[in-house]
Amino acid sequence: MCRILIVDDEQEVREAVQRRLKREGYKVEAAPSEAAGIQHLNDSPNLYDVVITDMSMEDAGSGIRVLQAAVGRDVFTEVIVLTAYGNVANAVECMKRGAFDYVEKNMPNVDVYELLCMKVQQAMERRRSAVETVRRLEAFTKVR
Amino acid sequence: MLLLLGTIADMPDPVSLIHKLCRRAIEVEDVTTLLEELNNASMLVLGADRAFVAIANNDSGELSLVATAGDGWTDEFRAKRLKISDVPRNGSTKETDPRTGITSHVAATGKPYVTGDVDADPYYFAFFDDVCSEIAVPLLDGNGCTRGVINIESFKSDYFNESHLELLLALADIGAMRLMMDGYRARETALVEIGKDLSAIADVGQLTGRVVDIAANVLRFEDCSLFVFDKDKTHLILQASHGDLAKRIGDAMYTLGEGLTGWVAQNGDSIRTTSIRNDPRWQGRFEEFPAEEVGAFLAVPIFGRHGVLGVLRVLRRKGVAPWFRREFTDDDESVLRTIASQLGAAIENTRILDRLVNTERMAAWGEMSAKAAHMIGNRTFAVKGDLNELEYRLSEPEDKRGEFKDLAAGIRRGIFRLEEILQEFRDFVRATQTALTPCDINEVVEQCVSESFPKRSKVVLKVTLQDGLPKVLADAPKLKRAFSELIENSVSFQPEGGALEITTAIVGPSEAQKIASLPRAKSYVKIEFRDRGPGVANEVKPLIFRPFFTSRARGMGLGLSIVKGILEAHRGNIVEVGEVGDGADFVAFLPANEES
Repeated sequence: MCRILIVDDEQEVREAVQRRLKREGYKVEAAPSEAAGIQHLNDSPNLYDVVITDMSMEDAGSGIRVLQAAVGRDVFTEVIVLTAYGNVANAVECMKRGAFDYVEKNMPNVDVYELLCMKVQQAMERRRSAVETVRRLEAFTKVR
Repeated sequence: MLLLLGTIADMPDPVSLIHKLCRRAIEVEDVTTLLEELNNASMLVLGADRAFVAIANNDSGELSLVATAGDGWTDEFRAKRLKISDVPRNGSTKETDPRTGITSHVAATGKPYVTGDVDADPYYFAFFDDVCSEIAVPLLDGNGCTRGVINIESFKSDYFNESHLELLLALADIGAMRLMMDGYRARETALVEIGKDLSAIADVGQLTGRVVDIAANVLRFEDCSLFVFDKDKTHLILQASHGDLAKRIGDAMYTLGEGLTGWVAQNGDSIRTTSIRNDPRWQGRFEEFPAEEVGAFLAVPIFGRHGVLGVLRVLRRKGVAPWFRREFTDDDESVLRTIASQLGAAIENTRILDRLVNTERMAAWGEMSAKAAHMIGNRTFAVKGDLNELEYRLSEPEDKRGEFKDLAAGIRRGIFRLEEILQEFRDFVRATQTALTPCDINEVVEQCVSESFPKRSKVVLKVTLQDGLPKVLADAPKLKRAFSELIENSVSFQPEGGALEITTAIVGPSEAQKIASLPRAKSYVKIEFRDRGPGVANEVKPLIFRPFFTSRARGMGLGLSIVKGILEAHRGNIVEVGEVGDGADFVAFLPANEES
């Protein structure tokens, strides 16, 4: 089963995303702040497949710090960053640091939840194929 | 000569008398007392039988009796108004033309007059039939205008001589000096009055109206108009006027250089004339009254720090008594220039203040927009989530109506929050855009209480309104918005019950200055909101009126900054003076409208 962590300081946002992703059959947990999110990542016995984090919580760099914590815990974890509409600069920074993608919260005329589900699905696939590649690499080196 | 006079028994020594009267001229409270003493003394020192002083009203062209001495005066006599005219009686045909007389003649010519035989005199008109000789001397001011006439009568023929005349001229000058002094004093008081209003009146229109009224009293003009440049400095727009032209305020407009007024604005110099129609620059586009009735015209530029802001012009009608000097003097021009420069400072002040109030708020705008966008974004995102879920549920075959309710409630909550944010945003932006009209603050408070104070509340409300408060120039809906914010705050900070006391009062300028650092206007209306809640901690006192300061979860924290913005836009202020633990105590001040 696929495990997802949502980090956002707005309760309504957390609930909405959580509900939508649960409907897709994912196991979803949530954290209400940058600090709580990072703690969750470090303390949880299980690894998360995908982490969805808001870009600006305590400050504009919150998302980047959650991303670092997630990748630091498990290099295969895919991170999707939620940003304010039209505020792409930070999101690009996240991409450079290894985020899977970003989703703008308020894109006009777009059902962001469908978009988010799609991104999560793609992230899961990439994670699977990355893990697969590493396994094959390990098997290959063992054979040699 | 003087020695001769001195020999007559019970006649005072003229030199000491003049000295005494000069002293009195400086001392006495009101000019009528002096004129009465002057009149009595004149009659006595000249050894005459009757005397009176008449004062000229230049607007009506009449003389009215202010002091009488000797026998035979009745109230009927004293109430008489003498028309000032200069028509000698035509021989013996018109025995009694009540409109002429020596007094009127002297007032009209400004020259003294002596007659030893009143019956043969072409000007004399009899109040009393026992008079044989008469001497009348004008009270002339520095511009040669007649302020009044002193008139001495004797029962003896050919009584008055050269030395009488000399003495009476000296006495008349004492009266004239005092009249001039009073004029200057009134002028000074008026200028101080104008100065006082500058900082206290918020609305330029209101201020200019008041300045024009005060100036009218000092300069004795019939009409006055104020033209102020538009933004591009290409047109002068009528801002204030009296009489007929008042209907065209905001509409009458000169282009730069057009007519006398346009010329004054273009050249930054004044125009003073008695015959506007003969001036080649004159065009007669906007007239306070018909040009042929204009007796004198004076227009001065209003300077700000960066050049001309507008033009102030004043007009006198051709007098009912045409021989009166109607033209504006150097003195008049310098007074009008002073008024114009004060007005210039006031206009500029108001503009700067408006800009300042808005600059402070502009600084908050950047932060404000970002914050609003963030909050609106998140709410919208959540509402979209609810809608997404709702659509999904609707597409499912089985009916799960129960879950719809929660989703609908979520959407409603989200949209309500969005509206609150929008409302707060709008109020913040509009706090300083006010439309001021004279308002009764007690009424505003009462309405506000009935609209905003919850019907069932554990908070005990006590409203104490002072009777007879002066009106305040205010935007009532804006003030209500501010006061209800304070009421709602107070109620929400006392959830377990408490007390809110609202009081209104009129206070002097020193209290407003001391408590809320307001300029020394005449008086302020104070509105106080005192409660028994937790109060405001000392360390946050300086912060509570700043945008985005909030100790409650809801909203953006603009509430009190909106309240302060509204009060500042009224040239008032609000401060919090409570002791922490003893409840909050918000004190608002609004400048009283002196005209009410």
